[in-house]
Amino acid sequence: MTGVPPTAVGTGRRFGRRSRTREDAFDRPRFLKLYSGLVYLYLFIPIAVVVLFSFNSVKSLQSFQGFSTQWYSDFLNDPTLRESLFVSLRIAVITMVIATIIGTALAIGLVRARTRWSPAANILMLIPLVTPEIVAGVSALLIFSQLGIQLSFWTIVIAHITFSISYVTVVVRGRLASMGDEVEQAAMDLGATRFQAVRLVLLPELWPAIVAAGLLTFALSFDDFVLSFFTTGEDAQPLPVRIWSAIRFGVSPTINAIGTLMMVVSLTAVVAAVLLPRFFGRKESGIKVLTGQEGG
Amino acid sequence: MSDRAFWSRFLLPGGLWLLLLFAVPICLVLALSFGYTDDLGRAVYSNTLANYTDAFDPLYIPVLLRSIGYALATAVLCLLLGYPIAYYIARYGGRRKHLLIALLVIPFFVNYLVRTYAWVALLADEGLLNSALKDVGLIDTGIQFVNTPYAVIGGLVYGYLVFMILPIYASLERMDGALIEAGKDLFGKPSRVFLHVTLPQTKQGILAGCVLVFLPAVGDFVSAQLLGGPDTYMVGNLIQDQFFAASNWPFGSALTVVMMLFLSIWMLGYLRSAAREARDPVAAGGV
Amino acid sequence: MSPLDPRLSRRQLFRAGAGGALGLYGLGALGGCTVERPIDKPESTAPIKPEIDGDILLYNWAQYMDPAIKQGFSDKYGVEVNEINFDNLEAMVTKLRAGGQYDIIWPSTEYAYRLHQEGLLHRFDRASLSNADGISSFYDGGWWDPENEYTVPYAYYTTGIAWRNDIVSGMTGSWNDLTNPDGAGKMFILDDFQEAIGEANLINGWDLNTADPNELDVSKQTLLDQKEFARGISTNSTQNLVNGTAVIHQAWNGDIVNVRNQVDNPEDFSYETCKEGVPVGSDLMCIPITARSPGTALKFMDWVIQPDNAAQNVMWNGYPQPVDGGKQAFASLVKDEPSIDVNLEALGDGGMEYRLDNPDDRALWNQVWTEVKAS
Repeated sequence: MTGVPPTAVGTGRRFGRRSRTREDAFDRPRFLKLYSGLVYLYLFIPIAVVVLFSFNSVKSLQSFQGFSTQWYSDFLNDPTLRESLFVSLRIAVITMVIATIIGTALAIGLVRARTRWSPAANILMLIPLVTPEIVAGVSALLIFSQLGIQLSFWTIVIAHITFSISYVTVVVRGRLASMGDEVEQAAMDLGATRFQAVRLVLLPELWPAIVAAGLLTFALSFDDFVLSFFTTGEDAQPLPVRIWSAIRFGVSPTINAIGTLMMVVSLTAVVAAVLLPRFFGRKESGIKVLTGQEGG
Repeated sequence: MSDRAFWSRFLLPGGLWLLLLFAVPICLVLALSFGYTDDLGRAVYSNTLANYTDAFDPLYIPVLLRSIGYALATAVLCLLLGYPIAYYIARYGGRRKHLLIALLVIPFFVNYLVRTYAWVALLADEGLLNSALKDVGLIDTGIQFVNTPYAVIGGLVYGYLVFMILPIYASLERMDGALIEAGKDLFGKPSRVFLHVTLPQTKQGILAGCVLVFLPAVGDFVSAQLLGGPDTYMVGNLIQDQFFAASNWPFGSALTVVMMLFLSIWMLGYLRSAAREARDPVAAGGV
Repeated sequence: MSPLDPRLSRRQLFRAGAGGALGLYGLGALGGCTVERPIDKPESTAPIKPEIDGDILLYNWAQYMDPAIKQGFSDKYGVEVNEINFDNLEAMVTKLRAGGQYDIIWPSTEYAYRLHQEGLLHRFDRASLSNADGISSFYDGGWWDPENEYTVPYAYYTTGIAWRNDIVSGMTGSWNDLTNPDGAGKMFILDDFQEAIGEANLINGWDLNTADPNELDVSKQTLLDQKEFARGISTNSTQNLVNGTAVIHQAWNGDIVNVRNQVDNPEDFSYETCKEGVPVGSDLMCIPITARSPGTALKFMDWVIQPDNAAQNVMWNGYPQPVDGGKQAFASLVKDEPSIDVNLEALGDGGMEYRLDNPDDRALWNQVWTEVKAS
C-alpha cells in the first residue's frame, strides 16, 4: 500500500543477504528482535482480549469466568445482527468488484497515457487517500441529499467505491510501473490488437496486484464505519454502524463475538488472496504485491 | 487511433467517477459552508460568511490545534514503533517475511470500533491492566488510563500503525542490497550505515507513511469519543456533533472546509514530493 | 510548462481553488434552496386504522426493545418486524427529513411536537387501540398531543444522579452533588445538550428551559466548573458505572436498573432525584407519514402496550412503561429502591419536561453546549 512508485531497481542482491565479513550488529539484531516482539504484543493484546472475551460465560468485560459460546448464538439468533452481517458482506463484495475494475483502469491510464489531463487525474486520485473519512462522509451525505437520492444500501456502496478506487489504483500502479511493455509489443508484432494485448498480456501479468487490491478493498469496506455512518439509510445497517449504536448506549459482549467473526471473515479473504495465486501456479503471492514489492 | 488516445480512455471511468462523486460533493460542502439553518432546522444555501467567523472564533482554535497535536504525536509514535519492525522484517525476516507481515496486518481486520473498545476494557479502572498491576502488587488503586489524552493518542496509534508500517516496509524491500554492502565498506559502523544509506533511501516510504497516518488522524473522532475525556475534544468530534447533534450543517461544513484547507497544505507538499519521484525516468515509466 | 509536467504549480492550484470558492459563494446569493428535498405529503388526513398492510421498519434507540416482542408480533401476524437504530434524536430527524421510510419512530415529547408541527406524523385515533385504557392519564391530552392523535407513550424516565455509595458519601439530594469531592475526576455528565444545560439551569434556580442569554451564560460557567471535576461527557452511563470508571454519573433511572443487573455488588449503586428539579422525559411511538405500512405500525403499537408484553419489555430494558402491566413490572424491579420509581400521577405539573419550541432558543442552547464541549 504505497503512494510512491519504486525508486532504484535492484540489480542483484536483495536486502536479506548476510555479509560474510562483518559480524557486527547487522547480524545479531537482538535488541531489534525484542523491540519487534513487543510491537507484535502491543498489536495483538487487544485482539486476544476480544477473542477471549467473546467466549466469556458472563456478561462482564473485566473478568473471564468460563468458556461459553452464548454470545455467538446470541448473535446468530438475532436476525437484525445477522442481517447486518450479510449487508456488510454484500456491500464489501460489490465494492470490491467495481472499485477494482475502475481502479485498475485508472492505474493503467495513469501509467501508460501521456496526456495533459494526467497530472490532474493523478492528484484527483491521491486526494481521497489523505482525506479524513469524516469529510468524505459529510460530502457523500450532502450530495445524496441534494440530488434527492434516498439513503440506502446503494448509497453506501457508492460511497465505499468512491473511497476505495484510490487504494486499488495505488496498489496496481505500483506493480504496473515496474513492468515493461515488451511482451505486449511482441504480441502486437505478432498481430494482436492493442486491446487484445491488454486483455491477454497485461491483465494476466497484473493479476496478483489486482487480486491484492481487491482484497484490500474488501477488508476496508467490510470494516468501514465512518462512511457508512453518514450514508446509511433505512435499509439494514452495516455491522460497524450497528455496533456503534450499541456501544453508545451500553455494550454487550456480543460485540466481541461480532468482532471476532468479522476478523475471521476478513482473514479468510486475505488468506485466499495469498494462496490463490500460488494455486494457479503463479510465482508471486498477493502479499508481496500488496506491499509494493514487485515479483520476478 | 493513436497510442495516447487508446490509453487515455482508461482514465475515463475512474476520472469521471472521482470527479462527479468525490470532487463535486466536496464542492457542495464548500457551498453549504456559506449557508445557514432555517426555522425548522433545515440547511439552506446562501452567501453568508457567518459560519467562517464562527469557525475562527478563538474558542475553536484550541480544538484544531489539539487535533493537530494528537495527530503529530500519533505519526511520530507510529514511526518509532513502525520503522524498527518494518526494518526487522525486511532485513531479518528471511523466508517467513510474508507471514510476519501478514501477522502485522491481522489486527487490522478486527473492526476499528471493536478494537478501540477492547482497549477501553483493557485500560478501564477496574479493567484487565489495572487488575493485573494490583495482583502483582505494584499499585493499590487503579491508575486512570482511559479518558485521558494518552488513551486517545494510544487509540489513534493503534488504529493507524499499519498505514505507517506498510509503505516503509515496501521501500525497505525495494532497496538495493548492494547499497548496504557499499555502505558497510564506506561507513563501518551499522548506525552510520543506517543514517547515511538506509534512511535516505527509505525517505519516500517514511513520507508516505507519515502522510497516510497524520492526515486522517486529524479528522478522527472515534478514539476521542470512546477513550477520551472532556478535554480531548477533537475537530472530528466537533464536526460530527454539528452534523448529527446540533443539526447545524452549514457550520459543520465551514469547519470541514477549514480543516481541509489546513490539511491541503501538507497534502500539496506530499503530492509534489511524490510527483517529483514519479518523474524518475528509470523506474516510473509514466506519469 | 510542458503538458507532461506532473507538477501543478501552486499558483494554478490556488487560482483554481479561489475561483471555485468565489463562484460557489456568488451562486449562493441566488440560493435559498434547502439541502433536503421536501417530502410528499399524503392527500388525505383521515386517521389511519390498525390493520395489517405489510412489513414494518422500526427506527429506535439501540437496545430499547426486547426482540421477543418483535418476534411475537411477527409470528402472530406473519409480517416482518425490522429495526434499525439511531443514537441521537437530531440524527433521527435528519434521516427522516431526508425521506427515510420508517414505520415507527421514537421521539421524545418535544420532538414529537416538532414533527407534528412540520406535518410529518400520521394521525390516528388512540381509542382504536385495544389496550388504550391501560395508558397512564399523564399521557392523556399532553401539551405535545392534546387530542391523543399522534403519539402512544413507550417509556418514561427521570434524570438524576447515580453514584457508588461505597465510595462516595455526603450526597444531599441536590444537583450540586455532581461536584461532590469524593467523585472528583470520576464524574460524568450526560452528553446531551438538554440534560447538561438543564441541570445547570436547575442548580442556578432558573427555569429548566430558559433561553435567557444571561441566565444561560451563568449556566455555561456552571458547566465549565463541573467539567473540571468531570472525567467525561458520555451517554454510556450504564457501562461507565459498571466499569468502575464513574463513581458519580448524571444518569437516567433506567440505567441504574441495568447496572444493578450486571454487577456483582448491586447494593453499592444508588440513585437520587434532586430537589431543585426532576426532569422527566418520555419516549413516544409515532408513525411518520413516509411509513410504508402505517396500519401494521399502529397494530404493533397496540401489541407493545399490551400488559403482558409491556411487562416483559420492562424486565428486558429496565425502563418504566406508563401502561398497565408495565407499571407493575417496574415497581417490582425497583421495590428495594423507591427513588428510582416514577409516580407520574403524583408528579402532575411538578414534573419538568424539556421543551424548546423556538428554533432560535434551540440554536442558542446548541451553541452554548458546543462552547462547553470545546473549551
